[in-house]
Parts: sequence; structure tokens; C-alpha cells
Amino acid sequence: MKTLPTLRDKKRYMAFEVMSEQVISRAELSHEIFASACSLFGDAGCSDINSSLLSYDGKYGIVRCAKGKTKEIRAALACISKVRGTRISILTLGISGTIKGAMEKFIQQTLINKSEPDKEDKQ
Amino acid sequence: MALFDGKFYDFYTHPAPGDRESVALMAAVAKKYGYSGIAVTNLTENDLYMADKSGNFSIFPAFEIPNKRAKLRDEIKKRKEDASILIVKGTDEYLTREAAETEGLDILLQPQKFNNVLAKIASDNSVTLGFNIGSIIHMRGEVRVRELVLMKANLKHARKYDMRMILTGDPHSHYDIRSPREMAALSGLIDMTEKEAFDAMSTTPLGILKRKSPDYVQEGIEII
Repeated sequence: MKTLPTLRDKKRYMAFEVMSEQVISRAELSHEIFASACSLFGDAGCSDINSSLLSYDGKYGIVRCAKGKTKEIRAALACISKVRGTRISILTLGISGTIKGAMEKFIQQTLINKSEPDKEDKQ
Repeated sequence: MALFDGKFYDFYTHPAPGDRESVALMAAVAKKYGYSGIAVTNLTENDLYMADKSGNFSIFPAFEIPNKRAKLRDEIKKRKEDASILIVKGTDEYLTREAAETEGLDILLQPQKFNNVLAKIASDNSVTLGFNIGSIIHMRGEVRVRELVLMKANLKHARKYDMRMILTGDPHSHYDIRSPREMAALSGLIDMTEKEAFDAMSTTPLGILKRKSPDYVQEGIEII
């Protein structure tokens, strides 16, 4: 049964970019984000953050979290340094209130900037 | 958030010594992540040559003074006129005391058993207190808990005695670099405010660079 719209918790969508030695699978990254958040904030804190990996293509991804917990999920992502022995660094590109916004404003914009490096330097 | 539009620096990085590619790669990633410069510990001439090629990004030399009790004061006094940023890791109480009491030291990093007396002395000697965020990133479990407790206590002393603070990710490779916003989020774990984190990554490093410039005379005196 669906939750009433007025009772739904507000969410934020965080776009991120992964830099790793080898390609990390979606399942591995999802598990690592959860483990990192749980290790930092405990089970109760993790339930408040309510994080979930929505999309990930091996390079860019979007993670969902509760509104007002973006700082916590940013810290949890920053604490991931190794996945299955592979060194990894996650850069947060930005936070949006919608998945569409996160995709268009951050991930697509980053890809456009990368394809036009001269334009980026001028800015 | 306009707070994160400034210039950011990480003053404690360790790319592979003598490896030009490692320094260049770390500089490229740091620039991409929003830093304006890094300080590399025990930098060689070859590394500085690479630094000149990286455009509007600066690489500064830093010197981590070896943790030898007998030579600490002499080493600081010998090198305080150098262009290198002097860093001491406060691995034990004796070293922390020696470092805090010696004028000319730039950064006292993650001191163990730091107390109000040492904080007052360090503040009087214009020593900057360093927080190693890299330990939060790489450690897990009990060890990380202890580091967090230590950093929270150090932050209280720094606030009480108005000490300047600096944040570092202690990166050994380009995978260890974290962007300024992420560093601020991690510093929130030790109850550091965003403004304090900004100052620790931007205002304080710029102050250290100003002090290290050849035009600098003394605190409050400027050549016009």
C-alpha cells in the first residue's frame, strides 16, 4: 500500500563520479556505501539517512538520501577508499531534489564539460 | 554555497618521492576536485619542475621533520627561514611539547595528549594545529573512534585558545584526495563548523603562504 503524499519523507538525490583502479560493480558499490554509512553513523543513524543507490553505470551514479542528511551521506561516500582491494575515490558532483535534476544538472553537465575542455577552462 | 568558491589548499600530501608522474597526477586530480594548490612533503627539484607546467595550480614544498626527540628543536630553528612549510606530527607528548614550544614551526599535526598548557604555548608561538582527516577515511572501528575522540578534544583546545587550524586528507596517491566539500562534511564528524572547515582549508593556508613569502616582515607589518 502506498504512503499518502503528505506523509512521504522528502528526499535528496546526490550525483557522484567514481574514480577507481578497476570498474566496480553496482552491487559492490551499493554494499560499500551501506557499510560505510553504518560504520560511521551506526544502525540508527543509517536508518535516518535512508540511503539507496539508484543508478550507477561504472563511472557516474545517483544515491538517494533523506532531506537534511546530505552532509552525512557525503561523509559516508568520502570514507570509501577501497572496494574489494581496489582503490577508489568518489567525488560528489551535486545535490538535487529530483532524479531528473541530478541527472541533467550534474552528470550530463559534467559530460558536456569534459567533451568541451576549452570552454570549461575559459569559465 | 558561496562559502566553497574560494581557494583551497592541502598542505600535507605524499606522492611517491621522485616520481614526476605521481606528483603530476596528484596535482591534476587535486585541481579537478577544486584545490588551488598542494604542499608536497620532501619535494625534489624534479617534482618542482613538473609543478611549473601545471598552469594555475601551485605545488609548494613542505618538510616533515623526522620524529627524533633530540634533533627536533635544532631542525626547526635551522629550517624556519626556508620556503618549505614545516610540519611536525605530534606522535607523543614529548614531541608535541617540543614542537609547540619552538617558534618557527608552521603546522603541528594531530598531536597526541594535547592539553590546555600546550595549546596556549602553541597559540602564542603562532603554530597551526593540523587535523588529519585521512585517518577518518582510512581507519575503521575502534582505532577510528579513538582518532575522532582525539580530534574532538584538540578542536576544543584550538577554539579555547584561538589557534589557527588546518585540514589535510594526508593523501599518498591521487585516489586518497577528497574535495573541499567532502573534507568539510568529514570535519563535521568532529563537530567542526563549515566556516571553521573553510578557514582551515583556505584562510589559514593562505596565511601560512603569506608568512613564507620573501616580502613578509612580521605579523602586522607590511611592505607597501
